Amino acid sequence: MILAGGRIYPTDEQSHILETLEETICQTRMNETLDTETVIDAIDVLGRRVAAGEFDALIGSLDLGKAAEEMLASVKLLSRGYLEKKVVTELGTQFFVPAHNEAAFGLPGIEIRPVPLGTLFHIAAGNLDFLPAYTGVEGLLTGNVNILKLPQADSGVTILALQKLVEIQPKLSPFIYVFDTPSDDLVTMKRLAAMADGIVVWGGEAAVAAARSLAPVGAKLIEWGHRLSFAYLSGDWQRKTDDLTALAAHIVKTGQTLCSSCQVIYLDTEEMDEIRTFCNAFLPYLEAARRKYPINDIGAAAEMTLQRYSAELESYLTGKRQAEQNIYRGFQCSLTACEDSELALSDLFGRLAVKRLPYDSILPVLRRQKGCLQTAGLLCDEEDRAQLTDRLIRSGVNRVTSVGHMSATFVGESHDGEYPLRRYVRMANVEEQI
Amino acid sequence: MNTTSRLFRWKYPYDTAGTNALFLRAVRENCRYQYEHNARYRAILDGRGFSPAMLRTYEDIAKLPFLPTLVFKRHQMYSVPSWKMPVTATSSGTGGQFSQIGFSCGDLLNGLHMVLKVVNRRKLFSACPCNYVVFGYKPHKSNHTAVTKTAFGATLFTPQLHRTYALRYTDGKYIPDLEGVIRAILQYARSRFPLRFMGFPSYTYFTMRMLDERGIYLRLPKGSKIMLGGGWKQFYREAVDKAAFYALAKKVFGLDDRNIVEFFGAVEHPILYCDCPRHHFHVPVYSRVIIRDVNTLEPLPNGQIGLVNLISPMVKATPILSVMTDDLGVLHDGASCGCGIPSPYLEIIGRVGLKDIKTCAAGAADILKEAGASV
Repeated sequence: MILAGGRIYPTDEQSHILETLEETICQTRMNETLDTETVIDAIDVLGRRVAAGEFDALIGSLDLGKAAEEMLASVKLLSRGYLEKKVVTELGTQFFVPAHNEAAFGLPGIEIRPVPLGTLFHIAAGNLDFLPAYTGVEGLLTGNVNILKLPQADSGVTILALQKLVEIQPKLSPFIYVFDTPSDDLVTMKRLAAMADGIVVWGGEAAVAAARSLAPVGAKLIEWGHRLSFAYLSGDWQRKTDDLTALAAHIVKTGQTLCSSCQVIYLDTEEMDEIRTFCNAFLPYLEAARRKYPINDIGAAAEMTLQRYSAELESYLTGKRQAEQNIYRGFQCSLTACEDSELALSDLFGRLAVKRLPYDSILPVLRRQKGCLQTAGLLCDEEDRAQLTDRLIRSGVNRVTSVGHMSATFVGESHDGEYPLRRYVRMANVEEQI
Repeated sequence: MNTTSRLFRWKYPYDTAGTNALFLRAVRENCRYQYEHNARYRAILDGRGFSPAMLRTYEDIAKLPFLPTLVFKRHQMYSVPSWKMPVTATSSGTGGQFSQIGFSCGDLLNGLHMVLKVVNRRKLFSACPCNYVVFGYKPHKSNHTAVTKTAFGATLFTPQLHRTYALRYTDGKYIPDLEGVIRAILQYARSRFPLRFMGFPSYTYFTMRMLDERGIYLRLPKGSKIMLGGGWKQFYREAVDKAAFYALAKKVFGLDDRNIVEFFGAVEHPILYCDCPRHHFHVPVYSRVIIRDVNTLEPLPNGQIGLVNLISPMVKATPILSVMTDDLGVLHDGASCGCGIPSPYLEIIGRVGLKDIKTCAAGAADILKEAGASV
């Protein structure tokens, strides 16, 4: 399905729509301005209608399963308060009101006129059902014309949400276009990219690399890549049973598939014995969390069991029995006591590594993952918190949270260390005429 | 005659209850052979603390370490020198990796006895010549897949007039040509000789749907049959239930479900499962099925869904004595079928794997794809 000019079209209308798209967008950019307040008003109305259950039946019909829960949780991001706070945090107040720099230092003065980047081409990832619509909304909040390419796994919720938004505020319609072009349709992808001043790409290395190859010289690339997160435990972790319970719940509930999911548990120690002690102590927490939130999909559970069994047989064939003995196994979960300190992706779904990372090694080790770091869940003695937080941030970590809140959303938080809205605008300067 | 040969020459192919003792002896012999001639197999059994001598009772077969198909994809596991294996076959390699299984002359002879017995019971052998449409790969020297060999083999059940293949080898790869198949079907339908289809249910179904959409309804010559094998593979999302499939076959070809036969097998378990008149896969004497719990791998009673572990002493050249498939299935009591065959029957429910997982953790998408998820 395609959304263009506020109307839904079948996919086979694509080439027809593309023929006139550039011209239509040019007309919009010449003649129309979208202000942040109009966008917030419309989203707020939509958010309230969703919260009131107006679209429950529709959301139900999309077969979103667990995603429906996620959707409803996302509704709070649609509130006026949240959006206003986001805009103020990222852009300050009165951002789009032109400012003036008086003539000084023998130089003439200028008008500083913040404006939208122009046309944004969003290549959205499917990791959250809500994400494609959300990236589009960020583009609208900054007054851009947005061309959105849906991920293949899109549940249909994006077009639905944006169509409702345009219904509520028809002024938005010339600013939003949604296509379900598959990523491997390079001809169309290039045509869409050619219309863009900025290409916003979400996804893993492959998606980012593909976007780079599509981007015409002159288009700004805005990359929201995949990240890794970890928990850092220092001091007397043994008595912090509530935190360990919360960490286990986080690991199991996110399936370790989010950027903010814990992939490795680091202990502030040089001793392997402490790592083993931790594995023995933490496994019951992880198992309890898993029993509370089991993998009910029989195919997924079978896959994990087979992987585990195959790894065991593999260890007999390769003679690497030692590695196998460092694995602490529980029901649908495991901990591996590792000798190294590298931050690396876990085996996912409740299976993760426990490693040593003494305070002095934090920066040299984490630096090796620069560009990939996201959240550190910190569990430590209160008197050490400030110092540890500082060291983690200096190492490149962008979020420091408690271990149970690694994947929580916070008011006005940055995205991987940046404010997206700032990347979707430019600052024009106009010489002041005396 | 050795024990395995006796098993493969057993008169009634569904007498599993009557062959349990013989089956155990054949398994023990095969296990001992593999243990003594295959260092990798021995390493696995030693690692699991199992020795062939521990196969004392029929129930002990469940304790025998089973090898997941992944092991055959990662390691060459032959137990005899290559000159003693006139045939090697591979799995289809969905996902890039494929198992390589070798067969000795004795293995192939066992297989031949089995095929004759099973196919004969379904009355698929005939002296009347037939035209064949193969919904599978046209044989090519670069193609070693078992599914190609067995589809070709099925065209030998009768004398053949013509063979038309749905997947043709062109410029180094296989291209589906369903239009060509439809032209052939229209031509063969006018023949006075029966038309037989053999191959993937997916392509068979897609072709029938194309005919239906075009309003082409045929009455195929008497004796025509649809033989299916190879599963839905990458088209599992389009899989339809059997009743819908049979209804469409009746509509476009005028064929009753009596004339539709389905086979099940795998290169790692090359036992010919052939459906009964009620379209159930009863376990033949050459094979045993253990359904295992998806978390604990312990055997489950009949009627419960789990991982499908297949056991057969047929092959000596490769240790595929007890293999764990990627299938999820249920074993039902034979009597619940009602066709009269006493042995239990296997129903395949799905495949293992992570489905539709979404991720933004760096590098996770690659791992998930390997595990069969669509990300």
